[in-house]
Amino acid sequence: MSALLEVDDLTVRYGRAVAVDGVSLALERGERVALIGPNGAGKTSLLNAVCGLLKPAGGRVAIDGREVTGAGPGAVVRLGVSQVPEGRQVFPSLPVEANLLLGAYGRTGPFRYPAARAETRERLQRVYRLLPKLEELRDRPAGRTSGGEQQMVAIGRALMAGPRLLAIDELSLGLAPVVVQDLTAFLRSLNEEHGVALLLVEQNAHLAFDLCDRAYVLEAGRAVLAGPSEELRRQDAVRDAYLGGGLAVETL
Amino acid sequence: MTTFLQLVVVGISTGSAYALIGIGLVLVYRTTSIINFAQGAFAVIAGLVTARLVGHVPTALAAALAVALVAVIGALMGFVALGRRGRTTPLASLIITLGLALLASAVELYVFGDVPRSYASISRHAWSLGGVLIEPQYTLIVAVTFLAAILLTALLRRTIVGHALVACADSRRASELVGLNVRALGVVSFAMAAALGALAGVLLTPVIPVTFDSDVGIAVNGFAAAAFGGLVSIRGALAGGLVLGIAENLVVGYINPQYELAIALLIMLALIGWRSRNEVVA
Repeated sequence: MSALLEVDDLTVRYGRAVAVDGVSLALERGERVALIGPNGAGKTSLLNAVCGLLKPAGGRVAIDGREVTGAGPGAVVRLGVSQVPEGRQVFPSLPVEANLLLGAYGRTGPFRYPAARAETRERLQRVYRLLPKLEELRDRPAGRTSGGEQQMVAIGRALMAGPRLLAIDELSLGLAPVVVQDLTAFLRSLNEEHGVALLLVEQNAHLAFDLCDRAYVLEAGRAVLAGPSEELRRQDAVRDAYLGGGLAVETL
Repeated sequence: MTTFLQLVVVGISTGSAYALIGIGLVLVYRTTSIINFAQGAFAVIAGLVTARLVGHVPTALAAALAVALVAVIGALMGFVALGRRGRTTPLASLIITLGLALLASAVELYVFGDVPRSYASISRHAWSLGGVLIEPQYTLIVAVTFLAAILLTALLRRTIVGHALVACADSRRASELVGLNVRALGVVSFAMAAALGALAGVLLTPVIPVTFDSDVGIAVNGFAAAAFGGLVSIRGALAGGLVLGIAENLVVGYINPQYELAIALLIMLALIGWRSRNEVVA
C-alpha cells in the first residue's frame, strides 16, 4: 500500500529563484512528522506546493498513491489533506461558525453540500466538542477573536473537511506559550484518538520534536537531515542551529 | 420649498438606481478585486431589451426576461474577464471589462439603433403630497432598490454561498486553501451584479430613455455611489447613491442641467482624493 503522502523530488521556483530544490518525503497514515528549518528554507513553499496552492516546477505529489501535482487546492482537500495556514488566515468578517462551515463546503462544493447537510452538522458538533471555545464564539466575527482563538478556528475549519492529514504551518507563530501548549496537547490527542496524521511545519524545533515522531530538516530548499526526533535532537548540528546551542545556522 | 422637496424626491429615486449600479460594482470588486467597467452596459442592455419586448408581452414579464438575460450575459462577461487562474491580474481583467463595455455598445447600436428607447412607467397618476408630486415609478425604483439591498445582505449573511462570496472578499488565498472554487464564485458575483444593474436599467428607462451610449453616464454615477463606501460597502453604496441623486437633482433644478454628470465626477474625485489622503496618513 502506498503512503498517505508521498513527495518525490519536488522543486518550486519563483522566477529564477529556487525555493524548494528536489525534496522527497513520505508520511504514513496516522503519523506525526515535522518539517523544521530556518526562515526562508522553503518550508512554506513546500507545503503550499503539496496543498496545490503553488504549481511545482518539477517532481510529483501523491496522496494515497493518487497523483495531485498541480491539480489545485480543491483536489487536495477532497483527497483528505487540509492545511492550517501560516498566520491563521481566517475569514475575518464572517462569524466563527461560518468559517467552520466553509471548511465543509470547500470539500463538498455547492452541489453536494445540501445532501451532506446531516454529516456537516454532525462534524460541526464534533469540532465543538473538541474545541468547546469555538461554540462559545460561534456568532462572533473571526476577526474579533484572539490569536489563539483564530488558530482554533483555522484548525476547526480544516477539520470540517474531515481530513486524514492535517498540515499545519507555523502553529506557534505569534501565540503565547501557554496557548501553544494547549494546542499541542489538542493536536496530540486528535492524532492518537482520531488517527489524523500531522505534518507540522515549524521554526520552533523544541515544539516540533516534542510533538512529532519524525522530522525533516530543510536548509536552503533541500532536505539536509531526516530521522526520528530523538535522534535529531541529539545531533550537534541540529542542537546548535535549532535548539539554542549558540552557534550560527551557517555551521550546519 | 415645494421645488426643493420635488427635486429631493426625484433625486432619491434616481439616486436609488445609481445605488443599484454601485452595489453591483461593490459586489464584484470585493469578491474578485476587479473594477467592472461593463456595469453600466448591464443597465443599458436591460433597458433596450425591455423596450423591444414591451408591446409583445406585459411590461413586467419583459422586464423579468431582460433581467434574466442580462444576468446570463454578466456571467459570460465574468467568465471572460476573470481569465485564467493565476494568469490574469485584476488590472488585466479591468481592461477586459472596458473592452467588453465597448463591444456591448457596438452590439447595442447594431441591434437597437441609435434612437433613445423608452416605455411607459407603471402608472401616470402621480400622488400629490402638499404640492410635491410623487410618481409611482419613482416609488417603485426606491422600493425595489431597498428590497434588493436587503435580500442581497440576507444572502451574504445567511446562506453558505453568500458566506463563500464573503470569504473570497476576505481572503482569496484562504478561500482557495479550503477548496472553494474562487473563479466560479467570481462568475456568480458578476451574474448577480449584472442582475442588479439590469434592475436599475428597467426601472430607470421609463424616466430617462436609454441609448447605446448611456452606459458611461450610468457607470460614472454608479462608481461615484460606490466610492462613498470605498468600493467595499453595500450600505455605503446605498447612502452614496442617495446623496449623489439628491445633489445632482438640486444642481439640475437650481443651476444648470448640463452639470449633472460633472457633479458625479466631482464627488467621485473628492472622495478618492480624501480617501487616498487618509490612507497615506493612516
